[in-house]
Amino acid sequence: MFARIGLILSLDLKIVAKAVISGGPGERRLLLGNEAIARGALEAGISAATAYPGTPSTEIVESLAEVARDYGIYVEWSTNEKVALEVGIGVSMMGLRALVAMKHVGLNVASDPLMSLGYTGVVGGLVIVSADDPNAHSSQNEQDNRIYGIHANIPVFEPSTVQEAKDLTRELYELSEKFRMSVILRTTTRLAHSRSPVVFGELVRHGRGASFHRDPERWALLPPYNLVKHREVLERLEELSKHLSDFKFNSVEEGEEDTAIVVSGVAYNYVKEALEELGVRLPVFKFASVFPLPRGLALKALSYKQVVVVEELEPVLEWQLKILAYDEGMPARIHGKDVLPRVGELNKEIVKAGISRILGIPYEAPPAPVPLVELPRRPPVLCPGCGHRSTYYAVKLAAQRAGVKPVYANDIGCYTLGFYPPYQMADFTWSMGSSIGIGLGIARFGSEPVIAFIGDSTFFHAGIPALINAVYNKTPLLVIVMDNGVTAMTGHQPHPGSGVGAMGEQRPTVRIEDIAKAVGVRFVETVDAYDVTAVRDSVQRALKFLKETGEPAVVISRRPCALLVLRERRRRGESFKRYTVVKEKCINCGICVDRFACPAIVRDTDGKVAILQDMCTGCGVCAAICPAKAIQPKEG
Amino acid sequence: MVKRSVIIAGVGGQGLITIGSILGEALAARGYNVSVGEVHGLSQRGGSVVVFLKYGDGAVSPIVTQSEGDVLVGLELIEAVRRLPLMKKDGVVVVNDFLLPPPGSKTVPARDELLAALPRGNTYVLDARELALRAGSDIALNMVMLGAVVATGVLDLESSEVEGVLSKRFKGEFLKINLQALRLGYDSIKKGPKY
Ligand code: SF4
Ligand code: SF4
Repeated sequence: MFARIGLILSLDLKIVAKAVISGGPGERRLLLGNEAIARGALEAGISAATAYPGTPSTEIVESLAEVARDYGIYVEWSTNEKVALEVGIGVSMMGLRALVAMKHVGLNVASDPLMSLGYTGVVGGLVIVSADDPNAHSSQNEQDNRIYGIHANIPVFEPSTVQEAKDLTRELYELSEKFRMSVILRTTTRLAHSRSPVVFGELVRHGRGASFHRDPERWALLPPYNLVKHREVLERLEELSKHLSDFKFNSVEEGEEDTAIVVSGVAYNYVKEALEELGVRLPVFKFASVFPLPRGLALKALSYKQVVVVEELEPVLEWQLKILAYDEGMPARIHGKDVLPRVGELNKEIVKAGISRILGIPYEAPPAPVPLVELPRRPPVLCPGCGHRSTYYAVKLAAQRAGVKPVYANDIGCYTLGFYPPYQMADFTWSMGSSIGIGLGIARFGSEPVIAFIGDSTFFHAGIPALINAVYNKTPLLVIVMDNGVTAMTGHQPHPGSGVGAMGEQRPTVRIEDIAKAVGVRFVETVDAYDVTAVRDSVQRALKFLKETGEPAVVISRRPCALLVLRERRRRGESFKRYTVVKEKCINCGICVDRFACPAIVRDTDGKVAILQDMCTGCGVCAAICPAKAIQPKEG
Repeated sequence: MVKRSVIIAGVGGQGLITIGSILGEALAARGYNVSVGEVHGLSQRGGSVVVFLKYGDGAVSPIVTQSEGDVLVGLELIEAVRRLPLMKKDGVVVVNDFLLPPPGSKTVPARDELLAALPRGNTYVLDARELALRAGSDIALNMVMLGAVVATGVLDLESSEVEGVLSKRFKGEFLKINLQALRLGYDSIKKGPKY
């Protein structure tokens, strides 16, 4: 039998605690790209860092939170990215340096203040980290946020290596203050989540006095001033573009051919490996500043006969170079997305194929091996003991009992995994808070009820305005808040409902049921997510309420994240009772393994179900759903 | 120049990232440029996870592409076989003799089928959990695998260098267990026959 698993529940211990401050100037440490950015910000003497967690950006502020107390800076998890940016802007108005981090789609949420920040500029240096996700490894899209910089008149920079991520971050604070502009630091998943050796510089404690820079004409975005500011920022960008040709992070490596490469970001490493394997020496222009272009260097690149632009996702450099070439009458033939993909990540082989096409060198892709065994897919699963699973299970029962076929509106978080079989309870999942918002549009016209699932953190992030809308516009929709007490998907960051702050300090707890009641929801019930009967009955009552009143209802299904509970138990050395299948009683109906699908329950080699003892967290839900009472706590 | 490419494959929660970062630190101490790439997010939750480690002089990129891998460290059999296309023909495989069927999957290949798919002559198979328990805790399974990959001699690393990194990172009882696990993994490859 598949008897030995424990490790799935084992935890990746925080092995590099305080990595970002433990090391003096000149020391060389292996850092994650995100940690390197954090270190760079500390070397620049920031006073504050804010973020909403999101892969692949999370570790930046997470590692800053870890050292915040020792180091004397303020760090917070904000309710959403818009708020995070707004706090950062406020800190900058105080003349202090701030870092604001988010994943690419987070910048959409922050885009409203961002657009105006381009006009006003900053006092204290302000770096906005946008962690893009080519290949959409853990995201709903592949948007290229360098374009946000162009849209918002905010300069964009992109590091190529982990070392550069640190150094560039530090340097950008100088630049931000010199040009009085905030800057976007764009990273990608591969850089954010790569570890490489980094040589440390000196840590700077900010030591600046904070004072509000009163300047109403600048900060109040009112009609007569806005156009002036728009003109001013265009001039500053022009100025910056000239300055950037001497910027030390933009570099040129000489080569022998008349074809030049222009590259930005992590793709630089693919280019270097590709050229080496192809055995050609092309000049390489590495641009850390992708908007605005370093004008002088760009013109130099355009003086070659051909230019190949290597960049991930959209042709941002390519477009700018083509415009410049046209304006300046340069005849260079500019390639890029004609030979490289616009979708997905680059890698060495893709870059090799692209470059060899331009150079006319024969290229053979490495052979595609034939699979010898057919392998099952392994989609991510809800953990053993996860309260979301029992909630889904109970909601399904309730819908069956009520004889309805609900539209299942789902949101962003661990519970998105309810999309996969056997649950298949995500008819759509869009962006933070959209389960309620989009659900409202469907509920307005549909005949079946809409059940919107949303996590606790997501509820605070963007669920509340949509819930208010449901009340105000009297739309029947059942919101199930799956509350596990933390932002679990990204690694357990606290939020307004958690009672602690980013730095581990005590904080007041904002209660979801209080909010729901305060905005006028008349049906608010809280249930234990493990109590399948209680959840089922509550959902049934809510569905009835929806039908009778045409108003929204809220059910809060609560259980702390099973991973956290387990971690805590391990730390305390506590033992607990696991569950087991009494084979004689089991009627082999398969409900526990096929329909409930706790990963700890498997079909043994004899075809009967069994519980993997190492994986079981002892939640006991399977015992409650087994019709034959065959699952029982293990004796001894 | 890239000198070696390592692939570490397994299931979310098995401690793959730790293996990568410890190897990376030891190699960086040798003066190599190193890149240890991890992609997580959704895959943290019991999904299929892969970590890439590359080292050499000059620029090294964070992805191992098809037919590029020198060593594959597999913490689970299905996941090890899944990453075989990334391996060079004569690459070395170190695999934990452990099969975890994905929940709900109807067609799970048998252990023998999976083992048969691994390159004969270049594969080492060990029971890492058993060795980890012998060292004192099943959490140290990844340390057993770490010891095993060092023992193959494919990487420019001595066991003492890895021990040095562990001593810097861990303390007390936990360090003791980890060092013991590392040693057991190492010895089992040195002594044991290839598959
Ligand atoms: S639900 Fe109970 S009776 Fe049915 S297969 Fe599972 S253990 Fe056996
Ligand atoms: S008690 Fe049952 S449902 Fe809970 S973790 Fe153990 S096997 Fe899974």
